Order: sequence, then structure tokens, then C-alpha cells
Amino acid sequence: MGLGLPKFIPEALRAVAKRPFTLMYPFERREPPEGFRGRQVFDLSKCINCGICAMDCPAFAIEMVEVGGKRWPKLYMDRCVFCYQCAASCPKNVISSSKLYELAGTSRSKLVMAPEPPAVGGDRA
Amino acid sequence: MGTADLIIGPQHPALHEPERFVLKLDGEYVVDVVPRIGYVHRGIEKAAELRTYIQDTYLVERICGICNVSHSLVYVQTVESLQGTEVPPRAAYLRAVVHELNRVHSHLLLLGVVGELFGFDTLFMYLWRDRELVMDVVESITGNRLISAFNVLGGVARDVDQSQVKEAKKAMEYLRGRMKFYKKAFAEDPTVEKRSKGVGILKPSSALDLCAVGPVIRGSGIKTDIRADDPYAAYGEIPFNVITYDTNDSWARFMVRVDEIFEAIGIIEYALDHLPEGPIRARFPRRVREGEAVGRVEAPRGELVDHIISKGGDKPYRFKCRTPTLANILAACEMIRGGQIADVPVSLSSIDPCFACEDRLAIIDVSKGERYSARLRDLMAKYGASR
Amino acid sequence: MRAEGSEGSFIEGLRSELGDRILEARVLGPRRVAISVKPGDHRIAMEALKKFGGSHMSTITGTDMGEAIEISYHVWCYQAKMEVSIRTGIPKSSPIIETVSDLIPGSVLYEAEARDLLGIEFKGLPYEGRLVLPEDWPEGVCPLRKDWKPDWLK
Repeated sequence: MGLGLPKFIPEALRAVAKRPFTLMYPFERREPPEGFRGRQVFDLSKCINCGICAMDCPAFAIEMVEVGGKRWPKLYMDRCVFCYQCAASCPKNVISSSKLYELAGTSRSKLVMAPEPPAVGGDRA
Repeated sequence: MGTADLIIGPQHPALHEPERFVLKLDGEYVVDVVPRIGYVHRGIEKAAELRTYIQDTYLVERICGICNVSHSLVYVQTVESLQGTEVPPRAAYLRAVVHELNRVHSHLLLLGVVGELFGFDTLFMYLWRDRELVMDVVESITGNRLISAFNVLGGVARDVDQSQVKEAKKAMEYLRGRMKFYKKAFAEDPTVEKRSKGVGILKPSSALDLCAVGPVIRGSGIKTDIRADDPYAAYGEIPFNVITYDTNDSWARFMVRVDEIFEAIGIIEYALDHLPEGPIRARFPRRVREGEAVGRVEAPRGELVDHIISKGGDKPYRFKCRTPTLANILAACEMIRGGQIADVPVSLSSIDPCFACEDRLAIIDVSKGERYSARLRDLMAKYGASR
Repeated sequence: MRAEGSEGSFIEGLRSELGDRILEARVLGPRRVAISVKPGDHRIAMEALKKFGGSHMSTITGTDMGEAIEISYHVWCYQAKMEVSIRTGIPKSSPIIETVSDLIPGSVLYEAEARDLLGIEFKGLPYEGRLVLPEDWPEGVCPLRKDWKPDWLK
């Protein structure tokens, strides 16, 4: 028998008496903490079209595309690893984080954040 | 009596990562073992030469998810040493905190996996339940549960505030109480004792000859730890003990990890109590000067070495990374020889194998080989049995 | 026998052991020393390091430097608490060098890896066959050489 078994019994009884530790996702959801690295938010009103975010992205997930005569960042979420080097590199703090993490989609074309610059439509959020 | 061959892998329920071991059996006893690695090569050393230093910071994290902080830490340390940049003291302490959090979660993961291998699923579930607490702390400090993206060239990516420090210290105190229970479980439980005591013996002389690292060599009584012998980050200023056990078996290697969790909790609490004020990041140029540097850290599995050669420019000329599991393979073969088949999974998991870490060399169109030969046998016969 | 000392005095100690065999010695940082030797002298240098407790092979790096292949043996000296990188260069046209796996048995897998990826032949290495590449990888194709490019780059 040994000493181990009796020690586990009160531990096991305690675990049975409490509710299960498992979170019943998706019926129960936990709020991510502040600063969680979820999906990016671009505030293009500050963007100066320098392209450093695209240059520094380790996953090659940002492409500078031309809209209205200037280059703006387009983010491919299926390549992105959410490291936020783009946010660190950006000289104007265009990119910030959000708590969105449920980003699955049914087609690759939907997993793209195309830029909507201020002159054309509005801020892309 | 002839020997029979038993092939374990590349896919096998007893192994958590793909590798192949061919065991030469005489009845129940393993006479020899031939390992074969290389199933998860991803070409990271070559890929690192094609990317800039900034991009490589995130590439090296993905060598291994479990010990990603160690990989990014040794990389940024090596590049900083190349350039001659000192990181601010606050960054050094924060790096130590997250590094130790990584160690705690990694050791808890392994101890749970080992519990599962014993057939002791209850222990596995409880350990991983308490590991969730560490994941929550890491998520609050770095923004993600696993891949932390915390170490950057010149310092750390983000700061911690008072509420995060309080949350972390509360979690560590609770975890210490839980670890006392787990230490008793590993030290005294009859299941654990029968499956791991006397199993997988590695003599100290063999461990030194075969250049084993980490808990493997500390479980054979050799007192060596990079955090103490070759300090980096803030470890030169933080007091802690180097844990060794001298029974040379798998039980010793597990107990080293259990005690290291206690030490890690102590280091985290000390570092959070003594966090110096100041900036968290030093300026770092995009183009690194010419030269070379060697960096070493104590990853959860042992010594992790980086060697970077730079010829000026923004991309490394050569990036070399040697992960601890590669250093421990020869020791693992030595442990398995002479034991029984049933002890093989326990011995293998006692080195905490992370083959994802290990196979990160050349780009391959993966095709598994069908033919192999027993070449390591000669090596083992020459260096293993005679010692 | 030398206990812990600074990098400069460590190099002095090595010079008194090896004399002219050390072609160049540099301090790379705290507890990091690099010495360059001729290809035949690397074994002698490694034996000399054993006097300083240098028995742990951290890793072996092979680098394609164009005309030559440079091999670095990184040895950790337990007593001196110093990481010494012994550097030597061999011509790429005939990359042959003697093994050190009889001096430090733990270096077998590192030499096998360098052989797979750079085509260096280590005379006397007890490990035959592939370590990290598949068995049907073509002979003579060395992925870590600078002239090898992955398919997507071609």
C-alpha cells in the first residue's frame, strides 16, 4: 500500500466535491486579460505609408497595397502569428491589439484585413 | 540465443514526438538500442540565414513551443553579445521572471506526461490542472499562453504593472502549496517508486563522457547549472540552489525537476520583489556589426547553445542552435541498455525529450527511410559498456 | 590546474600549453574565448583543454566560408568556467579532418550532423550513415552550403 494512497484519497475527494475544472467552451467563455495579443486593430488615420510593418513581419503576413494612390498595409490573418512586431516597428502607433481570438473562417479570402484608408471610406477597425 | 528487433516509432502511443528506436531484445531485456531522429526537420538554421535579425527573433521561438522563452532568450543574448549591447537591469529581471515561468510550466508538463506513462492518470490530470495557473500568469504578462514573444533585441517587449506582479506572486504562493503535495507524491507514492527507482541508470562518468546536460546530468550527482556557472540575465544577482540527486536513476531525474520548480518559484518571487526601475529596452541597430558570439542558457531540458556568425548586414551569416535533447540522446541510449522493455518509455521520458527542438536543421522533402543499419551499436559498445 | 580566472589569464594559460599552435586568440565576451588553430592541431588543443576541466562538448559548428569550411568546436571547461571555441578551417574541395570523438565521446552526433549537412568527412567517426537527413537524400548534396537553395527560392 504505502504512504501514497491515503494522501491521494483526500485530494481526490476534494476534487470530486468541487465543480469540474474544465471550462465548458463555447457555452462558458473566459475574458482574456488586458494586453492579450488578439487580432490587430489598424488606425489608418495615423499611417504614414512607410511599409516598415511589412518589412519586419517574420511571417510575411503584411502586404502594402495601393489604395487611392498611396500604399496601405493589408494583413493576411492566415499567415499572421500575432507576434506584434508590426506594432513595435510602427513609428506612428497605428497598430494596437484587441481581445478578439475567435478568428476561424470558412474561406481564406475572408481571413484578410484589407485596408480602408481615411480618404476612401473610414478607419478600419 | 539470438536477439529480436523491436521497432518503436516513428508513431507510437508511448512516444509523444516522432522518433524511431530499434531495440535489440534478448527476452525482456534490451541489449542495444539504435535511435533515428530527423522526422521533424524544418530547416530553421537555413531559414534563419534568409531572414533579418528582427524576423529571426520570432522564428527561433517556434523551434519549440514548450521552451520558446529559452530559445528566444539565447538568440537575443547572442546577438546582443555580438553587438556589445547591455540590456537595462529591469529587462534582465523581467527576462529571468518569464524564463522561470517557462521552466515551471515545462517541468509540470513533463511530470504530468510521466504520470500518464506510469498509468497514473490522476496525477497527470491534477498536475496539468495546476499548470493552468502558470499559463494564466504567462498570458497576463506576455499576452499569450505559450508563445511569449517577450524577448526582443535590446530588452523585453512589454512592461509589468503592480497588478500583474501581485497576480503572479499570488499564483506562485498557491503553486508552492500544491507542489508540496506533488513532491510527496513523487517521493513516496508506491506506483512512482516501482516504475522509476532503479530504472534507467546513468553513471556520473558516463554522463560526463557523453556530455549530457540539464536534469539528466544533475540526476547523476553532477552539480552544474548554467544559471550558476555562467550567469546570464539577472541570475548573477538572484540567490538560488542548484539541485542534484545522486541515485543516477529516472526517479532522481524526476525529483530534480520537482525541486527545480520550487527553486523557480523562489526566483520568480525574489525577482518580482526586487524589480529595478528604469527602461525595458535599449536601442538596437538593424545592422549588426561583424563578428561571432556564443550564447548559452539553461533551458528546462538543459544547456541550449547558440552560435551566430555575422558578416555585417541585417541577416545572420550562420545561425547554429544546439538543443538539449540532442545532447541527451546518447545518454538516453546508455540508460536503456541493460534494462527491460517496460522501462523504456519511462527512461526516455526522463530525459524530457523534445524532438521538435532537436530536428531543426535542413529543409527536407520529408520521406521516411525504409532502410537503416545498426551503426550506433558500435559506438555504444565502444563507449558505453566499457565505462 | 587552474581555478576560475579571467579570460585574459586563461588565454595566457593556454598559450603556455600550446605555444605557437594558437594562430589567433580572441575574447568574445565574459567567459567566452575563441582560439584558431591549424586543422591537425585541434586534437592537441582539445587535449590541452582537458587540463582546465574542458571535457564538455557544447556543440560543433560547421560554416561554409566560400573557399574553406570553418569548423568550431565549442568546449565548456568545468573548472575554469570558460567556454572555449576552437576554430579551424579546411578546404572545401577536400573537407577531411580527424574526429575528436575518442577524446570527447559526446561529440559523435555533432560531427555526424556536420557531415550530413556540410559534407565534412571526419576520419575515424564511429557513426556511419545519416543522422538528420533521410536515407534517400542524394549523396554530395549539402543543404547548409551556401550554393544550396530550397525549392521555393529557385
